[in-house]
Amino acid sequence: MQKSFYQQLKLGVFVLTGIALLVVATIMIGQKQNLFGNSATIYAIFRNTSGLKEGNNVRFSGLNAGKVTKIEMIKDTVIMISLSINKDILTHIKKDSKAAITSDGLVGNMIVNIMPGSDSFGSVASGDTIQSFSRVSTDEILNTLSETNENAALLTVEMLKIAKEITSGQGLIGALVQDPKITQSVKATLFDIGKSANEAALAVSNLNAFINSFDQPDNLAGAIRDTVLANQLKNIILNIERSSAEIGQVVRQLNQTVKNADQAVINAKDGKGTINYLSNDPDLVTKIDHTMKNIDETVLEIRQSSQLLNQNLEALKNTWPIKNYFKKMEKTSQSK
Amino acid sequence: MNYDKRSLLSGIKAFIAETGDMAYFAGRFFREVFKRPFEFKEFLRQCYNIGNRSFLLVGITGFIIGLVFTLQSRPKMVELGADAWIPSMIALAIIREIGPLFTALISAGRIGSAIGAELGSMRVTEQIDAMEVSGTNPFKYLVVTRILASTLMIPVLVILSNFLALYGSFLVEYLKGEVSFRFYFDEVFRAVKYTDLIPSTIKTFFFGFAIGLVGCYNGYYCKHGTAGVGIAANTAVVKTSLMLFIIDFVVALITDILFLS
Repeated sequence: MQKSFYQQLKLGVFVLTGIALLVVATIMIGQKQNLFGNSATIYAIFRNTSGLKEGNNVRFSGLNAGKVTKIEMIKDTVIMISLSINKDILTHIKKDSKAAITSDGLVGNMIVNIMPGSDSFGSVASGDTIQSFSRVSTDEILNTLSETNENAALLTVEMLKIAKEITSGQGLIGALVQDPKITQSVKATLFDIGKSANEAALAVSNLNAFINSFDQPDNLAGAIRDTVLANQLKNIILNIERSSAEIGQVVRQLNQTVKNADQAVINAKDGKGTINYLSNDPDLVTKIDHTMKNIDETVLEIRQSSQLLNQNLEALKNTWPIKNYFKKMEKTSQSK
Repeated sequence: MNYDKRSLLSGIKAFIAETGDMAYFAGRFFREVFKRPFEFKEFLRQCYNIGNRSFLLVGITGFIIGLVFTLQSRPKMVELGADAWIPSMIALAIIREIGPLFTALISAGRIGSAIGAELGSMRVTEQIDAMEVSGTNPFKYLVVTRILASTLMIPVLVILSNFLALYGSFLVEYLKGEVSFRFYFDEVFRAVKYTDLIPSTIKTFFFGFAIGLVGCYNGYYCKHGTAGVGIAANTAVVKTSLMLFIIDFVVALITDILFLS
């Protein structure tokens, strides 16, 4: 009885261990396939799935983000792929993220690789479709390589031909390589070029020294670089400009005056106008001269009369009642 | 020439007849298994014999298989620069094929021959006849319990053996490649899918059933006295091994059609 119970106990441990290991394996595999996790489905549309299968991994920034759950052909060039994404990672996938089908390693399974988008876009939600792009397939690469190879072969043939011509001394390069005279001439030219280069270097050095002298304030260039002096020069130039404008105005007025004078001269010559009358009539001159003499006499007489008038007025100031009036006038002027 | 032809024909005929007889034997098992009374104690005893007592042999074998398999494949994988693939490759090979088949073959050698010899000796010593006379159903008591125990215990043995094999493989990787336990088993469970684990686990039930059925059949119908006991044990092992490969092939075919292709 004891033995039987002990056997049963051992059997129980044996069976339970086996079942526990099976359960652990089941859970671990399920976790790796995101079967028990909190996941959401998003979609991507491709023209070519490149051998992708349901159950293949989905990677986001190198992390395992989920699985491919469904591959559905919508049209001949439109294949919709359902991606079951772990919700912890879903929040980091932006709406402008792009999905591409790539190979996991050199000979690995195909995977869907989601490249991160920009922060300015919001996170994708369950049911959204993200953008996708197809990588260049191996066939396309091989086709391009084949074309390149053909071109390279043609190029090689041409190069060979050119190399033969050069070797045989044909053409300019052939002559250069093969003809010793040309070689010597080229050498001499190169020597001359070297010499010229040395001289040019010297000239450049002198030029540099000259340019450096601009920094010295005791010469003209240095003075020009002085900002205070430059401002003064600017002001002077402005004044000169202003003066030249005014001179221009004066010149224009002078021109007008000269024109008028010319016109007067022309008129005088033609026997027209006041000048002509004044200059050409002798009676008028005599009359004017006579009138002037009369005026002189009259002015003299007026002076004498005014002196007499002054004397009369002085006498009047000292007479009553006018005397009182003048006193009042003096007082008023003093009070002010 | 005529003799050979006759012998070949009679051989084929005997094979077909035996297959039919075995099918009848299996049919009887399915009829008896659901009928009362259930021989529960005898069933548990057989479970202990088949499961616990085989565990040491199966466990050590599994551990060594994992160890050797990794040791053998590792240099070539490292040469190819694919040493990171060793855990997943070993895991898939062990869980899908090597673990179940090796465990079943070892069990066929140990359990199948033991059942064949035990029942064969009971038959030649007329113990089975005595049971029939005493009113006990020998088929139910001897055959049903053994086949049922074998069917249920072989999967448990395979699971334990698989883990020991993977542990053996990990030890090699740990010692030679300095791979951590977590990384190794992370890679293992990343590579293994339900489409690998479920068919291979279901397969082990068929393996267990075949081991029990062929062992019981050969023992139960043992002839030719005591010499027949040895023949029964030997035949049980040979036929079971052949049957295991046939079952393995059929299951692989079905799995390929349903899950892999």
